[in-house]
Amino acid sequence: MTMHNATMKYLSIIILLVFSSLCMKAETLHKQLRQVQVTARRPMKEIGVQKTAFDSLTLKENIALSMADVLTYNSSVFVKSYGRATLSTVAFRGTSPSHTQVTWNGMRINNPMLGMTDFSTIPSYFIDQASLLHGTSSVNETGGGLGGLVKLGTLPDVPDGLNAQYVQGIGSFSTFDEFARLTYGNDHWQSSTRFVYSSSPNDYKYINHDKKVNIYDENKNIIGQYHPTERNRSGAFKDMHLLQEIYYNTLRGDRFSLNAWYINSNRELPMLTTDYGNEHKFENRQREQTFRSVVTWDHNRSNWKTGIKVGYIHSWVAYDYRREITTDNWSSMTRSRSRVNTVYGQADGEYSPNRKWYFTANISAHQHFVRSEDKNVILQDGEKAIVGYDMSRIEISGSASAKWRPIDRLGMSVVLRQDMYGDRWAPVIPAFFIDGIISPVGNVMLKASISRNHRFPTLNDMYFLPGGNPDLKNEHGFSYDAGLSFDTGREGRFTLGGGVSWFDSYINDWIIWLPTTKGFFSPRNVKKVHAYGIEVNANLAVTPADGWLIDLHGSYSWTPSVNEGEKMSPADMSVGKQLPYVPRNSASVTGRLSWKTWSFLYKWAYYSERYTMSSNDYTISGHLPPYFMSNISLEKGLSFKPADIQLKLAVNNLFNEDYLSVLSRPMPGINFEFFIGITPKFSKSKKNYTDL
Amino acid sequence: MNISRLLTSTRIIPCLALTLLLGGCMEWDYGNDDETFDIPGRGLFITNEGNFQYGNATLSYYDPETNEVLNEVFYRANGMKLGDVAQSMTIHGDKGWIVVNNSHVIFAIDINTFKETGRIEDLTSPRYIYFVNDHKAYVTQLWDNRIFIVDPSRYEITGTIEIPDMPQGTGSTEQMVGYGRFVYCNCWSYNNSIIKIDTETDRVVDRLTVGVQPTSVVIDKNNKLWTLTDGGFDGSPLGYEAPALYRIDAETFTIEKVFRLELGDTPSELQTNGDGDRLYWLNNDVWCMNVTASQLPVQPFLEQRATKYYGLTVDPGSNEVYVADAIDYQQQGMIYRYSPDGHLINEFYVGITPGSFCWKP
Repeated sequence: MTMHNATMKYLSIIILLVFSSLCMKAETLHKQLRQVQVTARRPMKEIGVQKTAFDSLTLKENIALSMADVLTYNSSVFVKSYGRATLSTVAFRGTSPSHTQVTWNGMRINNPMLGMTDFSTIPSYFIDQASLLHGTSSVNETGGGLGGLVKLGTLPDVPDGLNAQYVQGIGSFSTFDEFARLTYGNDHWQSSTRFVYSSSPNDYKYINHDKKVNIYDENKNIIGQYHPTERNRSGAFKDMHLLQEIYYNTLRGDRFSLNAWYINSNRELPMLTTDYGNEHKFENRQREQTFRSVVTWDHNRSNWKTGIKVGYIHSWVAYDYRREITTDNWSSMTRSRSRVNTVYGQADGEYSPNRKWYFTANISAHQHFVRSEDKNVILQDGEKAIVGYDMSRIEISGSASAKWRPIDRLGMSVVLRQDMYGDRWAPVIPAFFIDGIISPVGNVMLKASISRNHRFPTLNDMYFLPGGNPDLKNEHGFSYDAGLSFDTGREGRFTLGGGVSWFDSYINDWIIWLPTTKGFFSPRNVKKVHAYGIEVNANLAVTPADGWLIDLHGSYSWTPSVNEGEKMSPADMSVGKQLPYVPRNSASVTGRLSWKTWSFLYKWAYYSERYTMSSNDYTISGHLPPYFMSNISLEKGLSFKPADIQLKLAVNNLFNEDYLSVLSRPMPGINFEFFIGITPKFSKSKKNYTDL
Repeated sequence: MNISRLLTSTRIIPCLALTLLLGGCMEWDYGNDDETFDIPGRGLFITNEGNFQYGNATLSYYDPETNEVLNEVFYRANGMKLGDVAQSMTIHGDKGWIVVNNSHVIFAIDINTFKETGRIEDLTSPRYIYFVNDHKAYVTQLWDNRIFIVDPSRYEITGTIEIPDMPQGTGSTEQMVGYGRFVYCNCWSYNNSIIKIDTETDRVVDRLTVGVQPTSVVIDKNNKLWTLTDGGFDGSPLGYEAPALYRIDAETFTIEKVFRLELGDTPSELQTNGDGDRLYWLNNDVWCMNVTASQLPVQPFLEQRATKYYGLTVDPGSNEVYVADAIDYQQQGMIYRYSPDGHLINEFYVGITPGSFCWKP
């Protein structure tokens, strides 16, 4: 075998790994393990890119999962959440939630008012392809991703003919999940309609360690106290999602697609463990209606391609905080409404004159129209008044890149990006990437990159009333990373891969909201943060015997994220300390054991201690203890003439851990959900949905 | 054994399973052993608000004689958290009453042992408590147009005082001072008035319009009420104006004098000294003025030092000034203790966002 063939063989194993990934079903992977072909070449677009991809089995493990769950158990990103259907934000490489950009089919979906994305509102069953672009690598797609980019998308990957799937989940705390999908496909057309509805009172029991119940004698003297067992109060949710996709492929190099996603969410916001209010006399509720749509045209030729996307987002969010004054007489304390309309357009072009060069160019525009109001201000003369803002802002981002691979084992890439928000221009964002195969044996690859990056203040940062600060500066900084990866395997027996990367980033003029003496918060540029660390991942797929598969994936990250700014006051003890709610260590392991139509999945996640204070004081409430979390599921597929049936039992928090992810927010103990999926056999299809 | 054989060996399965299962243990460190305190004598309680929605408010205690500081004393004495946003504390008899705003509760504690003696629950958004007598106290509220009447001896809500012409949801009543049988209360958030309550009838009997958002109210030795407005904010429907210090005669309930500050100033925390002849307040710096002064001072009593002054009190016995620096509002705040002539005597860390003080006699 020549050196070239050997290299290509190992490269093909990598490609295989990417596609088969970690939680692949035994049968599928087994087939793929035996289908290793010496055909692949590293994509030019991904030269030097640090990327974590999630496969479809991970995304579609069960219908009750959101992207927050997927990220928790399949990456080293820290997900800050306090239970199902609650605000779930991420800290990517030690940064804040607004430093992670999120795209859906190319369109940025970060909330332009807040800058962050709530991953609990993205059902993983609606996502066909998902990947993380770590740090610098996000510059290839968008600006502002100081931590990185979460790239989400759908695919026209539906079976031929008419197909349907229905899944129902019934779980603890009267939780019900429904999923239905109807697809139609032929050579040219594909259509998919997906529907999810989840509801639960979410009133799980927990021991309230933060509170004691008093036992009084008749003279109102306390004669006893105990920590009560309480139920999660005001945690109910009803979430509905509908996704329609239509794809048309000319089979002559042109592809058109339409994606439209509607969300209707009605969630209570759970009470704190330290709340002594009567849950029946307070209402704390958030409602959301969001519609996102993207129309795409892709035009592909042998050595160039171009694409155009246009999109629209409408989001209406209502937050109500009410108190019952007398029976059925509710007083509204907060009645805030926000309405966001975003028009989006994007054009891409790629050109590869030969095997050594690859050029890309991209320009995107998001025009936001935002109206944010608190309608509950009633003046003493009885007149209603609105406190809020009504602003629009255009956000334009353009980039050009050149990628060069002088020899098969070495690649380099330069990206230049320019961002403009409103009337502000950020300095050009340059990024440089390099990778090289240092050993064909084991396909050992070295990657490195460097970039400058900026993030503009959000609309709330600048205009929120009261408190918005239009004088805020951009957050900005440098990022570097370097990594080593390897992949090996033996045809039909095992694949083994892994990588380690080091990153180092400095973020200046970090924006945080601070209280004022007037009773509201206001944002300021205050901190300089040095976020650095190591990310490690490994995966292994083994077929010990015919019909068996062991599939393991692990990740670990060490992420010091340190305040290196000036002291805010002579007594400031936060300089040199870890940022609050950013764990230094986090890890996750997913293991699947499959035998024929049986599959057992074990998911494990670990987060080290998180500080809640900037000074990292080890006070009673200054830190949250580390925790391990284990979830398992057992799945069985049955095949009958009219339909395939899938049965699954999932057990969450297997060891019934008593833990907190966020201060004063209790998490559920052991809980169960049983799923049954039905996939009718309307006709002879090339493939059917079998994942539950 | 080569890697292929190792990886395909079935022995790897139990090994991996064991590794995963071992990861099920979690360290948890809730302390359940209550500490016993018995600290008689004079001292200073500091209520630390904590962070909104974190439930990390705490109570600190400082002995000015020994300079001993005890932090988190409520938790340490009672084995439970104080709650979310500790707004204020008032001592009546041998009990201290801590108003915990976003926990909708007021805790009563023994002021020497810090042990809870009872609690009043299910308040709307309590801010301050004022004792009319042993069986009646008033509790002011944010987002409510009612002052709650409570029986401290039974820890029960016994009634309400509805504030005339105050919208329900955006109501706001704050600090209270007594003069004769009347209680005077400033109405702060989106309000601009001082109300007068007859403690015999529990009714609002008069109302005085002042500037935008009066933050605090005190009474001096001459029975003059003083209130300090913050002027609101740019874009507020109530208006945005220069803050002002108002002197109001308690007997006639009329404004006698207005001392206007600069537009954009952020004054708060109006206090008097023990003799009631000097006023102190925060406006970035610490300011001080004689109650008989005819104009505002031009120089601050204490200049800020990149500090974020958030709380202020004056020792009623020694006239020493205590000012709280919240720093970044996410770490233990610092209390600076100054002599009456402005020399630093001591400094000590307390809890997150120290906002108010309460002197134990």
